[in-house]
Amino acid sequence: MSKAIGDLVLPDDVRYTLDHEWARQENGNIKVGITDYAQDQLGDIVFVELPEVGRIFSAGEEFGTLESVKAVSELYIPIGGEIVAINEALAETPEQVNSDPFGNGWMIVVKPGDIAEFESLKDKGAYLEILKGSE
Amino acid sequence: MEKETKKTALHGWHVAQGANMADFGGYEMPLWYSSAKNEHLGVLQQAGLFDTSHMAALLVSGPDARDLLQHCFTNNLDACVGQPKKPLIPGRCVYGAYLNAQGELIDDSIINQLSENSYMAVINAGMGAVVAGHFRAQAGDREVTISDLTDKLGKIDVQGPMAAKILSKVLAAPESAFEKMFYFSFKGYFDPTSPLADAVRLSDGTPILLSRTGYTGEFGFEIFVSPDKVVKTWEMIYQAGQQFGLTACGLAARDSLRGGAVLPLSHQDIGHWPFINHPWPFALPFNDDQSGFTKSFIGDQALLTIKSPEYTYAFVGGDLRKVSTADPAVVLDPAGTEIGSVLTCVSDMGIDYHRGRLFSIGSPEKPQDFKPRGLCCGFIKVKAPLQPGAEVVLKDKRRKLKVTIVTDIRPDRTARRPIREML
Repeated sequence: MSKAIGDLVLPDDVRYTLDHEWARQENGNIKVGITDYAQDQLGDIVFVELPEVGRIFSAGEEFGTLESVKAVSELYIPIGGEIVAINEALAETPEQVNSDPFGNGWMIVVKPGDIAEFESLKDKGAYLEILKGSE
Repeated sequence: MEKETKKTALHGWHVAQGANMADFGGYEMPLWYSSAKNEHLGVLQQAGLFDTSHMAALLVSGPDARDLLQHCFTNNLDACVGQPKKPLIPGRCVYGAYLNAQGELIDDSIINQLSENSYMAVINAGMGAVVAGHFRAQAGDREVTISDLTDKLGKIDVQGPMAAKILSKVLAAPESAFEKMFYFSFKGYFDPTSPLADAVRLSDGTPILLSRTGYTGEFGFEIFVSPDKVVKTWEMIYQAGQQFGLTACGLAARDSLRGGAVLPLSHQDIGHWPFINHPWPFALPFNDDQSGFTKSFIGDQALLTIKSPEYTYAFVGGDLRKVSTADPAVVLDPAGTEIGSVLTCVSDMGIDYHRGRLFSIGSPEKPQDFKPRGLCCGFIKVKAPLQPGAEVVLKDKRRKLKVTIVTDIRPDRTARRPIREML
């Protein structure tokens, strides 16, 4: 990988999944994106396929795809619930997933079915251990 | 059966630049540095620098060298240069393939004729021993020597419209080096003891073999140099290229560029199936009415007597979304019947449609403010012939994509442009 683990951005205010998505609580809803590690591994993101607002997913289901120059990868939803917003800007500027994965590169906002699912996600320390293990 | 991954002389440079490294053909190679997309676009607009030292090469020499190559190689060395097809001569090179008796690919190759009885065959990474063994098995009582040059040379490609301007800065005598440097010709040699070595030298005296070939479809050169000079040569070119926008490029950009240029990847687009009915008929010695071949070679009869032929075609999609050939991906006809498989699917990030016409970011007539989003493209292999313009559907576990069969992909490629226009 190009970034050393010490160089990765790992905010404290989000939870993480084993598939390298992040989830952040915002006004009772959950905003979702991919981590700095994931974007670094994938390389240039050139296309983001997101679900329609209103669709309902269970935790762990595929909710979209990310197209990098080299490959296509699935996006898995960290928490079950209804899609209440998607990041429309990524249609024009998918590279924001690379440049600002935890900010402007966000993908969806989920209205959670069971907020307890959020609590079961990894915190920064646990996610860091997973990254170290995959080195 | 874990084999140790080999490293090229430039491995340390790639890692120091933060390249994303991966195994390719037994070598740990850079996939990209900071952005495969920018590397791809850089080659189309300025120039890119590629470490291709993982490629293998064989020296075939002796009074019967040409006869052995004629026996093993698909192209006709006595009728392959330009139009009308003239014999291969020293300083010219030709693309073709080596097949088994069933007409199936062993590897593809560019053969460079060095002198009357001496040829350098450039082949793919990890294929040196395989092809050398094939040559020796086929040599019979021919008077020929085959030696593996793979670990005796490094290779650097400079590809893109600025390539000649950049090399002008590092060559000892660029004017003489570039004189009559036609597409698919070369000059010089990387071994200082060779009489050919004086033809092209870098400004520090290093002899190189400079070849007007490449794997991007764009104007440029391949440089063969002694392994102990690779890093210095790379750094000289990289420095000299900065004022021209030269970008170091990894294998991801190399793959997407060659896809858009309709060039096959050995053992992926051509492989263990008959080497015919594909977009590369120039690699076969067809006679004028395409009914047979102008010479005999290993596999020729098998190619002409196939019972259930398959057909390989280039395609281009409607946007940049891809299918994953690892899944694998299949080809469906408009009725939904499976008719074949997807061999390569990449995104050429430098092309897009504008009012129904395909442009490259390198096209001289591209529209103002043309910002290509990229299009998926590649190759499929199907059981029945298709016509250009036909639509088929590519399907993997994730999606279905409608694509069009085409004879060419990225327009306005620069590979064949006269060198005088590029200086």
